[in-house]
Amino acid sequence: MLISEKDRAVIREMFEELENPVRLVVFTQGSLKLPGQPDCMYCEQTVKLTQELAELSDKVSVEVVNFHTEKEKVEEYQIARIPAIAVVGTKDYGVRYYGIPAGYEFSTLLEDIIDVSKGKTDLSEETLEQLARIDTPVHIQVFVTPTCPYCPSAVRFAHKLAIESDYVQADMVEAQEFPELAQRYGVFGVPRTVINEETHMEGAMPERYAMLYVLKAAGKLNDEEAKLLSAVAR
Amino acid sequence: MALELSLSTEARAQRDDVYDTVIIGGGPAGLSAALYAARAKLRTVVLDMNPRAGALAATSLIVNYPGVPEELSGAELLERFRRQAESFGAEIVQAQVLSTDLASDPKLVFASTGVYKARTVIIASGALGRKASIPGEAEFLGKGVSYCAPCDAAFFQDKEVAVIGNSEAMPDELAVIARFARTIYLIPRGRLTEEQAARVAEFANVRLMESARPVRIVGERTVTGVELDVGGETERLPVSGVFVYLKGNRPMTSFVDASVKLNEDGCIEVDPRDHSTSQPGVYAVGDVVCSEARQAVIAAAQGALAGLAVDKYVRQAKRIRQQWN
Repeated sequence: MLISEKDRAVIREMFEELENPVRLVVFTQGSLKLPGQPDCMYCEQTVKLTQELAELSDKVSVEVVNFHTEKEKVEEYQIARIPAIAVVGTKDYGVRYYGIPAGYEFSTLLEDIIDVSKGKTDLSEETLEQLARIDTPVHIQVFVTPTCPYCPSAVRFAHKLAIESDYVQADMVEAQEFPELAQRYGVFGVPRTVINEETHMEGAMPERYAMLYVLKAAGKLNDEEAKLLSAVAR
Repeated sequence: MALELSLSTEARAQRDDVYDTVIIGGGPAGLSAALYAARAKLRTVVLDMNPRAGALAATSLIVNYPGVPEELSGAELLERFRRQAESFGAEIVQAQVLSTDLASDPKLVFASTGVYKARTVIIASGALGRKASIPGEAEFLGKGVSYCAPCDAAFFQDKEVAVIGNSEAMPDELAVIARFARTIYLIPRGRLTEEQAARVAEFANVRLMESARPVRIVGERTVTGVELDVGGETERLPVSGVFVYLKGNRPMTSFVDASVKLNEDGCIEVDPRDHSTSQPGVYAVGDVVCSEARQAVIAAAQGALAGLAVDKYVRQAKRIRQQWN
């Protein structure tokens, strides 16, 4: 058992808040590893972790997908690597996890499940107004390590944006499990947020400042916000 | 591998709770503020990064704290502050504050243990802070320079790294880095305490370089080395990571958002009558406001003023409530 008895009790209580059903679509490798496939270190544990979570509420279910053989599903959820989890509510909000949500990121997953179930978040009015200006796709990748206490707030922020906007897809990426990706984006410290490939944000920032980076990446900064961003970035 | 699942139940429980006051810093200023706020029956939490850190904790002997004639160490005096604040109901949590949103309602304090919501915030974070001061340090932040071993040590598996400084946090951080890096060059800048030296000696892959002084951090896209001054000779240490644990004497304000005005020295500006800042409901006390005299008794007095002021603010009263009885 991955989740302790004590944590199960806490999670059961947390899950009483759930409204709509939540489906955890878990992408993994099959039981047979084909030659030439890279080994997926945490695939099995990711499946197990999500299945244990599903035992704690009638409203949480798990769908296991073979990344190598079920191409249609992989396409549908636009999954790039494994292990991956899509947290899906009444619709697919674009909330993704690449790598196992362990360590500090376990709490992130629980809070995401609750928000996805409700289809809303506690983002401020100001942030929601800014988010409503975005009308082109925004892809956010938040690189983390499971032992990083600063990381969950960066991931949660990105996932909340995904829940509130049809244009945003947000991925948590566990940097140690995907070293090539970490290298490609020059990740040597976490959290590091990469928005639409070009815009980078180091560390965890308060919502109102983090949002400026998202607006910048989407080309939606007004003059006043641009001024504030240059002060923040300094 | 055993899977670690950190469920921050403490932070969960606070999700919808709003504290009357969140106090950032557990030194004499913060703990005195906590004592007065808690005694006024305000829901009070103190977020303290490390009970062993801070200017008072590091003082070996205190003989001039009024009313305490016996010789005490700073750490012992601080322990008394803590017990007294707790006796009135203040919570003390070991947590590092990462950032704040002080203009919002309620105010938000983002800490390593979760998000705290507050009607008022008292900043008492002291003045052992520093700005990136080693040439190359700011430039390579996130590109090899780090302040957080649990976050970033894994990126330096089997690599050579340097650790610069000897703050209270350094030995614990070193223990994390030692699990990953091949060799760690420890450049303490100053002598290690006996306790620190004993802990450092536990790690076979640490090379202690007490006589070296870092000159600059060098690299291209990422860090490739540290230039050192060793007895007047310049030496280049090839490393791919640099973890920095230096103490300074600047006010610690990196987590304070832009709604709170700082003066040109980086100190928080306050009204000396009640230690309120430019942001309503936010107060600052102790060394972070840069009083001319850095004394525990002065920090404590400022904490008391802010504790009373917070009580007045929360009650929306015209006057403070004197705590005489």
